[in-house]
Amino acid sequence: MSGAVKILSGNTFVVSDDSGDIEASLTDPTGLFSFDTRFLSKWVLTIDGQRLNPLSVDDLQYFETRFFLVPGTGTVYIDAKLSVIRQRAVGDGFHEDLTILNHDDKPVDLEVRLEAACDFADLFEVKDDLKKKGEYYTSIDDGRLVLGYRRETYVRETWVSATEACAVDEGGLTFAVHVEPHEQWATELSVAIGRDVRGTAAERPEHERRGHKAGSDMALSLEKWLDEAPSLDCDWDPLKRTYRRSLVDLAALRFSPVMLPGHHLPAAGLPWFMTMFGRDSIFTSLQALPFASDLARTTLAALGLWQGARHDDFRDEDPGRILHEMRFGEMTAFEERPHSPYYGSVDATPLYVVLLDEYERWTGDAKLVRALERQARAALAWIDDYANLQGNGYIAYQRRNEKTGLENQCWKDSWDSISYRDGRLPGFPRATCELQGYAYDAKVRGARLARLVWKDPAYADRLDKEAADLKRRFNRDFWVEDGEYFAIALEPDGSQVDALASNNGHLLWSGIIDESKAKAVAGHLMSPAMYSGWGVRTLAEGQGRYNPIGYHVGAIWPFDNSFIAWGLRRYGFKEEAARIAAGILDAAELFEGRLPEAFGGYERALTKYPVQYPTSCSPQAWSTGAPLLFLRTMLGLEPIGEHLVVDPALPQGIGRLELLDIPGRWGRRDAFGRSRVAVGSPPRRDAQLGVIEPGATKA
Amino acid sequence: MAELDQRLLEDISEWSHERPVPGIDGVLRLDVRDGARVDEWYLTIAKGVVTVGRTGGEPDCVVSGDSATFAAILSGKANAMAALLRGALSARGKVVLLTALQRLFPGSPGAEGLPTAGYAERQS
Repeated sequence: MSGAVKILSGNTFVVSDDSGDIEASLTDPTGLFSFDTRFLSKWVLTIDGQRLNPLSVDDLQYFETRFFLVPGTGTVYIDAKLSVIRQRAVGDGFHEDLTILNHDDKPVDLEVRLEAACDFADLFEVKDDLKKKGEYYTSIDDGRLVLGYRRETYVRETWVSATEACAVDEGGLTFAVHVEPHEQWATELSVAIGRDVRGTAAERPEHERRGHKAGSDMALSLEKWLDEAPSLDCDWDPLKRTYRRSLVDLAALRFSPVMLPGHHLPAAGLPWFMTMFGRDSIFTSLQALPFASDLARTTLAALGLWQGARHDDFRDEDPGRILHEMRFGEMTAFEERPHSPYYGSVDATPLYVVLLDEYERWTGDAKLVRALERQARAALAWIDDYANLQGNGYIAYQRRNEKTGLENQCWKDSWDSISYRDGRLPGFPRATCELQGYAYDAKVRGARLARLVWKDPAYADRLDKEAADLKRRFNRDFWVEDGEYFAIALEPDGSQVDALASNNGHLLWSGIIDESKAKAVAGHLMSPAMYSGWGVRTLAEGQGRYNPIGYHVGAIWPFDNSFIAWGLRRYGFKEEAARIAAGILDAAELFEGRLPEAFGGYERALTKYPVQYPTSCSPQAWSTGAPLLFLRTMLGLEPIGEHLVVDPALPQGIGRLELLDIPGRWGRRDAFGRSRVAVGSPPRRDAQLGVIEPGATKA
Repeated sequence: MAELDQRLLEDISEWSHERPVPGIDGVLRLDVRDGARVDEWYLTIAKGVVTVGRTGGEPDCVVSGDSATFAAILSGKANAMAALLRGALSARGKVVLLTALQRLFPGSPGAEGLPTAGYAERQS
């Protein structure tokens, strides 16, 4: 997708080439997508039969782009006397202002043509290269081109129209254009989601059919979003850029579920994952809590609404389980895929309780905690009643949907992510270590809420007791004596799956690790086998399956690192946490403020530049949230009672860091950080943070 | 095509005492098509509990479809959300009510999602 231009609004997005054209093949994620369905797969502009050549692309906003074009392709401009501007904004479909300028002294007559077609592919089909089962139709209705697809009662349509007079045929629109010397001609093109699950566009209320008003409404909404977030000042400029990029991308990834119009939660990532994911929405909401707690509120409400209540093998659903993924495309509609929603995630359920508690600690919103008491109790009950698949009291996973369900139901969900030191793969059910940490944290936090908000001290005592018992057993059963770290998982027979992986950092975050073992764990995370200089690798160098560009077996995930840094701070390893923040923030600068999902685990000294993982999503919500969580850990922000405690520990290259108007139960508060490390010379502006200065000691 | 078995709806009402619908009150009307005939069923959610009747207040959400589709959903053979995406059901108004009710529809027949060891201990 190099050269691809992406704009989006909610879960509607357009991916085109840099002249604004779309020519999608079935396996190619270009086109107009809405609710996981492609609504336009061909959109090609020609003038007198010629394609146009891009001069420049202006990304005006995440939902709006302007393309400057001239006729003719190739290296020599055939006619530079004309220029063409396409300005496109995404709303319910997209809207395009097409302007042709005649720079000549003579008038011109042109045939302007827009070819349009649609394959109505489900995103799953695009990913997996599958064939359609229904029938296509096209018609010309009231001057607009209708592209349609029908399979039984499933009907989807795209409506293409223009404000200027044109000839409409089944393949597109043709304009006979006359432009006087030094004059211009313009038309407004509309590509509307003509018919979807909400019915036809004509039946939809005006505000949903935003059309050309989308741009200004969304600009206002983005401005408000940025205004409400804390403001940041810092003597290391790249952080300011990364912070702003993160806020804007997070705004772009806000998504309104079809059944909860008007409410926003973070979708997982563009282009494959513009939908609700339990795990991703929860992690991103946690990262963003000090900046935009609304995301957490909506995530908790929406995930609570869809909480599992039944036994359903196809969807891997149990009572109390929090969903993994929701999809809206054709394959979900015909139950060929289980995503309506699919529940095959084992961490989202304990993390739901973790988020609820963390949300209350920041916001003081006890009302929501009361409203979601039943859901939180059901989630806590699920841990013991349905996830104890090994029968030993540990939370574990094994899919019941063998055909289309997920094999690995933890965040490291690729087939080879959980392994032994020597590379062997364990059996099922699998109890990965970080899950035990989440379960422990959920019980401790559930106990706090039970005592404080639900006024059920007996329940609180029980949860505390279970948590303490879990912690005791965990530190005995998962601890790899000869390596001094925690095994990545337990086999069904209770034996250790002994690979050294970044999951250890999540264990620090959850608080399940005995104080006496924390130093060894932190030492591993910062060792050359795990810390590359950019960040902590998902799997340590030297393990059997280690591969620096292996998705979960060596690549570095910014999101993972943000939680590892939080964990290090929790156990008092302030400088180690700052070093992790420094490496990832340096990488962010090199990615122009937008961290990818993952990048290569190569040694920093070797590559000088973080190598992006080949097929990763960008922007991706929990990567976007990572710099926000690093700000929290660098400043040491912690809500204690009604107060916000600030305890900064900054990387060496940042002399001053200010985060102003941090919202929370205290109203608004400012946090200031100054470099605690005495340095001989003032820090160089824009120097990289994580480079070890000559003579500096390496931890 | 037989008309909708009233017992399927009564099961929903009964279940709602055990598993109240969280935080959402309102009236959902089912328009059940059977040939040319349309039967209206009112599901009223108040304080999490569902009552079923042939009449009711102003609906907040109207869901329509044929009786076979409703029968499949109410007996756990089809999924309401998928049926809606497929166009086998259509919904107007606050669709969130249908989402909230979904938890009361039966799961897939023969599902193996049985509680694990800890469950039995807790029940005893």
